[in-house]
Amino acid sequence: MTEFHVDTTASGIGVVRPEGRLNMVAARQLKSVLADLVAGGTHRIVVDLADTSFIDSSGLGALIGGVKSTRQQGGDLRIARPTEAVLTVLDLTNLTKILRPRDTVDGAFDD
Amino acid sequence: MTESSTLQALPDRLELSAPASEEMLDLVHVLLEHLWQQHEEVPVAERMRVEMAVIEILANVIEHAFEVDAGRPAADERGDGRRFTITLGVTDAEVLIDLADNGEPAAIDLSRVTMPDEDAESGRGLALALASLTDLSFHSADGRNHWSMRCDLS
Repeated sequence: MTEFHVDTTASGIGVVRPEGRLNMVAARQLKSVLADLVAGGTHRIVVDLADTSFIDSSGLGALIGGVKSTRQQGGDLRIARPTEAVLTVLDLTNLTKILRPRDTVDGAFDD
Repeated sequence: MTESSTLQALPDRLELSAPASEEMLDLVHVLLEHLWQQHEEVPVAERMRVEMAVIEILANVIEHAFEVDAGRPAADERGDGRRFTITLGVTDAEVLIDLADNGEPAAIDLSRVTMPDEDAESGRGLALALASLTDLSFHSADGRNHWSMRCDLS
């Protein structure tokens, strides 16, 4: 079972931290967590992947969906602290540009 | 010896037969963890590649099973539930996985699989599996779809 911790920082950035594996079941949950944030007016989101031990193509799809929906609102979705497993998948799928990994959650929107 | 018969001859191979449902994905993750405990010699990079490929292919099988069943009575009521069987093993040189299901024959041409553009929200599964493995093959015969995966140890 994958859990999602959702927080909003003082500067209004939504932080989502999935804990566990992001496979097709968890990807659906992530999609709705992200959609709820965007619908609620949070258009800058950091997905903290420090505790995400595994991601598959559906998990990637949920993240890309979040990138598109936040950008449509003038915001962005950024990922931070990916594990080795997640980095490998990003490399294999050529997604390190649209989902450029950031070193910290706090600094994810510094540039 | 073919890869399948090599795998079937491994005394410590693991096998699981289960309904083709999403809930079984976690069970297969655990099965892989068990395989790595048995075979600590498999490097982390290969473990990740195998896990990615297996989960992508299994997700594909599960999705396909449900797609075909849409609009028909639930598989349980028909008594011909969609099932899959997975066999996993490690030799001195490679990790071997067989995955078979009794779904409708799937029309899959792996030579046509490509990685989609970066803004695509789906369609990466098989491309990711292909990129992760040394070899991936698929054939459909006698009412069964059969996937064969190989990841050479570095």
